[in-house]
Amino acid sequence: MPSFACVPGTRVEAMGDLWAAFSPASGETLLLNDTSVAILELLSEGAMPLPAIVERLARDVARPEGEIETLLRDHWPKIIEAGLVCVVGQASPER
Amino acid sequence: MNHAGPTPVSTLGAIPIAAVLAALRGRGLWIELGAAVLRVQGDAPGLVAQLQSVYRCHPFLTQSGWADLHVRIERPHGLRRWLRPQVVFESDGRVPFEPFPADTALPLLEWGTNWLIGQRLNHLLLLHSGVVERGGRTMVLPAMPGSGKSTLTAALSLSGWRLLSDEFGAFDPVERMFRAVLKPVALKNASIEVIRRFAPEAHLGPEFPKTRKGTVAHLAADEEAVRRRHESAAPGAIVLPRWQAGSPTRLEPLAPQSVFGAIAFNAFNYKVLGAVGFDAVVHLVRTCPAYQLIYSDLADAIARLDELWARLP
Repeated sequence: MPSFACVPGTRVEAMGDLWAAFSPASGETLLLNDTSVAILELLSEGAMPLPAIVERLARDVARPEGEIETLLRDHWPKIIEAGLVCVVGQASPER
Repeated sequence: MNHAGPTPVSTLGAIPIAAVLAALRGRGLWIELGAAVLRVQGDAPGLVAQLQSVYRCHPFLTQSGWADLHVRIERPHGLRRWLRPQVVFESDGRVPFEPFPADTALPLLEWGTNWLIGQRLNHLLLLHSGVVERGGRTMVLPAMPGSGKSTLTAALSLSGWRLLSDEFGAFDPVERMFRAVLKPVALKNASIEVIRRFAPEAHLGPEFPKTRKGTVAHLAADEEAVRRRHESAAPGAIVLPRWQAGSPTRLEPLAPQSVFGAIAFNAFNYKVLGAVGFDAVVHLVRTCPAYQLIYSDLADAIARLDELWARLP
């Protein structure tokens, strides 16, 4: 199962009600909402596969995992395409 | 001992036409814009008088240690030299545009130079905006084409504000200051008459009808703006202008997320600068109060902006 991580050097700065995010990989800049930035913040702690992302976010914001999955479906393609998040290969099997 | 001061340099407007013609056909005319030096050569008919009109307060320089932009405006070889004559824009051996009719040499020079500036001056973040200064701080007027930016910038420059540029907000990301790119203000169509009525004493160059943007004319930068063209200015406020027929003047605060998009995504070279551009825009948004200005009456709009400036901390 692939893991995802925040692209090194990604910049995120608060801009009013939104956040400006810059990817050094793609050179793209996006204006993101809190949900997308929460994903980036999580992934800045270390790479993790999608199920773990869902589980952690659900726990952090005290929402059902199903709701988080729906949110991810909406925001995930955008932050991947913008080069803010990258795939880092297979996660190590748990011991 | 000779205690004479530096030799005063004559202005382009005051020099005999023959001297300007000789410069253009020889080693060139050097025009200091502030953030860049433009060297112009060529044999385009009528260009001498046009340059003397719209760069009239700029110093007449026929040599310099450096030019950022080298441009030739010339008549092509072949039939088009004589039959429905044209002129071409050449820079560094390349001809990036289609020829223009020979009687539109100045618009070709101005638009072509703007294109070069947008391509080359990548040590600066080039916002697509007018910039004027008062009290050492700049009012940055970013806007989409057709929003009335140049008309408002021209009127401000005729109302006690120092003109830095009507096209480029040239922000030095290291010094965090704005620099002048001092060229004549390009006015189009109805805005030409608007400025004539607003300031009958304003020096407008010749009108060029039937260009790709309609009729254009250029407002020459005044003596003070030219004298201070090397003087940087700190960011002050960002004002997004929008002319709307019949509208009362409204000056409404803008949220940071709106301002970020308006200046970053409309800049000429934001993507080229990468993280440097990102940091510069973040700095500007966080440093400058921002407003949208909706107006129909130019004098009233300027009065509101004067009030705003008096209130700025």
